[in-house]
Amino acid sequence: MPENISQFIPFLVPIIVIQFGLMVAAIIHILHHNKYRFGNRALWLVISIFIGIIGPVLYFTIGKGDE
Amino acid sequence: MKQFFAFTKKELAESVVTYKLHILLAVFLIFGMMSPLFAKLTPELFKTLETSGIVIQMPEPTAMDSWAQFFKNVGQTGMLVLAISFSGIMASELSKGTLIILLAKGLNRHVVILSKFFASTILWTVSYLACLGICYAYTAYFWNDYTIHNAAIAFVAPWVFGELLLSIVIFGGTLFGNIYGSLLTCLSIVVALNVIGIIPNTAKFNPVTLSGGTLPLLGGVGEVSDFVPAMMVCAMMIIALLVGAVLVFKKKEV
Repeated sequence: MPENISQFIPFLVPIIVIQFGLMVAAIIHILHHNKYRFGNRALWLVISIFIGIIGPVLYFTIGKGDE
Repeated sequence: MKQFFAFTKKELAESVVTYKLHILLAVFLIFGMMSPLFAKLTPELFKTLETSGIVIQMPEPTAMDSWAQFFKNVGQTGMLVLAISFSGIMASELSKGTLIILLAKGLNRHVVILSKFFASTILWTVSYLACLGICYAYTAYFWNDYTIHNAAIAFVAPWVFGELLLSIVIFGGTLFGNIYGSLLTCLSIVVALNVIGIIPNTAKFNPVTLSGGTLPLLGGVGEVSDFVPAMMVCAMMIIALLVGAVLVFKKKEV
């Protein structure tokens, strides 16, 4: 990696951590619960993992079943 | 007023339990950090291609590129996230029937609507300010010396548009009583506003211009007064939607 890009790594880390954190939180929640408002576990896993920021947001707002 | 604050407090507590607060903060923090970084890094990434023989001339990024990214991220994906996360604000309580007891105990119906709007306004304001603050700090760090103009109106505009979206999802949720109705109402109104935007000379009054159209103002291009009509229309729409939601809710069987 060239020098001038590696100097931005301290700025990239928090973004990656938050984005990854959102995704992991969604995955853990999906695996611990088996009631969804619609769809099934596989569908929500795919959505949360592959649709960047919106995926986990969709799961937590319209996918997650009521407890 | 006592009812209003009690219900607002309950709404805010609920947003913590349902992770709404966390999600909004996380998403808007990402946008705040990403926008300046993306503006700064894109030319660098293209430079790495030069070693493989492809030469792409990119102008040196400026602070305005960073703000362009900010308006793009917040005005598009940010608004989408905002509408989705608040789509259940009326709908989930109406479909679960959790309001019945409170209403039976004498909670006024307009208090429900107004305090839900107030609570979501607090959440949206906090997330937007966090996003703006981070983006401002990063931009100031990457580009030491730059000036922005008309910052107040340029940055307030997307916030006002966000408020409009909040009032739309509350109205839609009250009217249809489910999340899909709320999101569809939001989608239809935004699409309608965009279609109206095709007609020449309406942009000045169109609230859609607020969600990103104020970028030139930051660079000192255009007049602040150009955006006042859109703000007024937006404010009137918010009031009309909230009044509409209260009227619908008063007639609704919970």
